[in-house]
Amino acid sequence: MSINVQHLSYKYPSGKDDVIKNLNLSIKDGTITVFLGLNGCGKTTFIKLLAGLLKADSGEILYADKKVSGLSMKERSKIFAYVPQKTYSADDYFVKDYLTYGFINSLKFYQTPSSEQLDKVQTISERLSITHLLTKKMGQISGGERQIVSIASCLLQDTPIILLDEPTSALDLKNQNIVLSLLREITKEGKTIILSSHNPNHALFLESNVVLMDKGTIIKQGLCKEIIKVEVLKEIYGENICYSENLNYKEISFQ
Amino acid sequence: MNKKTVLFFIISLIIGVCVFIFALTVGKYEISMSDFFKAVFTADESVATQRSIILNLRLPRTIIAALTGIGLSISGLLYQEIFQNKLVSPDLLGVSSGSAVGAAVAILLGFSSAIISLLSFCLGIVTVLITLILSRQFKNGKSITLILAGIIVGGFMSAALSMIKYFADPMTTLSTITYWLMGSFENSIMKKVYILLPIVLVCCIVLITISWRINVVALGQEEAQTKGINYKFYQLLIIGIATLLTASTVAFSGTISWIGLVVPHLVRLIVGRDTRRTIPLCITFGGIFMMLVDIFSRTFTSQELPVSAVTGLFGTVIFVVILLIRRRDYNVH
Repeated sequence: MSINVQHLSYKYPSGKDDVIKNLNLSIKDGTITVFLGLNGCGKTTFIKLLAGLLKADSGEILYADKKVSGLSMKERSKIFAYVPQKTYSADDYFVKDYLTYGFINSLKFYQTPSSEQLDKVQTISERLSITHLLTKKMGQISGGERQIVSIASCLLQDTPIILLDEPTSALDLKNQNIVLSLLREITKEGKTIILSSHNPNHALFLESNVVLMDKGTIIKQGLCKEIIKVEVLKEIYGENICYSENLNYKEISFQ
Repeated sequence: MNKKTVLFFIISLIIGVCVFIFALTVGKYEISMSDFFKAVFTADESVATQRSIILNLRLPRTIIAALTGIGLSISGLLYQEIFQNKLVSPDLLGVSSGSAVGAAVAILLGFSSAIISLLSFCLGIVTVLITLILSRQFKNGKSITLILAGIIVGGFMSAALSMIKYFADPMTTLSTITYWLMGSFENSIMKKVYILLPIVLVCCIVLITISWRINVVALGQEEAQTKGINYKFYQLLIIGIATLLTASTVAFSGTISWIGLVVPHLVRLIVGRDTRRTIPLCITFGGIFMMLVDIFSRTFTSQELPVSAVTGLFGTVIFVVILLIRRRDYNVH
């Protein structure tokens, strides 16, 4: 069951040009795909189109050969879970309460989470080593912990696909490593991960598929080892890009 | 509800019943507790005057005060959650300004008390509808455009109210309009209770039923929608309930400030932000607060004090205390 994107175009109501231009793409099940590109290239817009937060002007998104455009947000939330860049409006909620909101699409309007579901919160928290955060408020935990809690909420939402909009943008190196390692682990369970990033090294670390975007179109796509090459990245990031490969690490950096 | 919420709910409910009974006994005509119970639970003719005062004057007045407190506290809480802003009041989308214009027009034209309430209620609802329609013209679906539309429509209604007051007779209608705008429970009768009680009751039942979902709606459009909530439906439903509660209470009691801001803050200070806990406590705390305000307004001096002045006096002091207690939280963010 893969995602197929066909001739997708989108323009913001206040904008002049298409932010996404006739985009065609296929993403296989159980893979990680990293969207790379400069600010304003359309990464976040594309992720929001997948999540259903924006409605495409033309084209289609298919999941398991079925159109997702006609689905209600409830039905769509059973396919795509979404981690936004910022979750500041959750600051006053306790982590244990916030996690339960992942169950909302499986409950009727008058229902609250069952004891089984609350047990599941405990299980996932233990797995992701965040049990010590459960009694804290979202505003009291670090940016890295916050991202892990958001990912835990997506796991409780139990969707085949998880979308993350620049999940490491506000994190230090240690927390970037924790979050990316977690994503790699989740993919082994068959989940499909789609994320946007500014850092090509994240794709190298995840050994993921890469989609390189520029001005709303796909410049290159394929396996990370095919795309993360100096001559390809120079097209986007400029001439100063360099690549170093040692015994222990590979890295893209600026000269 | 967790144990803490249940405990506070039961304690506040007991206090609420005590304040309710106290409100029926105090006033210009003092009624002793023994006379009170004799008047309410027996047919003793020796306390006929007391019975008449309790049942015809103080009972409807106290019930209307409690319902107004409940309605305004809950609608304040709902607006604050939906617009993710702890400082917004129930008047955010212009409902109170619209209601005030409706009442002022009715007073200017010399209509009866019932028509004043009806016109006030209708114009309050119509004002919010105009706000919603105007915000749709911006076509970006963001909450900020709704707030902006509310400020514009509310501002228009305030200007209209100024015009009406300018043309009103200073000796008669102007003073009535001004007095109405300051809020009062003086003209409360049981007929008003029969209208207001079902509205508040139904709204409270609906809100308690969906209270867990309101938390998710309060996360904002992006998160709520991707978690599977029909955000626009719930946003409209919650705004609709908050508007209905505000318009119906304002129609009977005039505009009353501060309570919609103070009670939700007080409740959040005790049980946190989860609306499963805050809504039940807003019901009891809001009712108690307004009954106490009403007692104070009619007993402090020989003349009745305007309700809004009393809520403003107490509300601001309580609000400062809450801010001082939560000083650390505000410093963090």
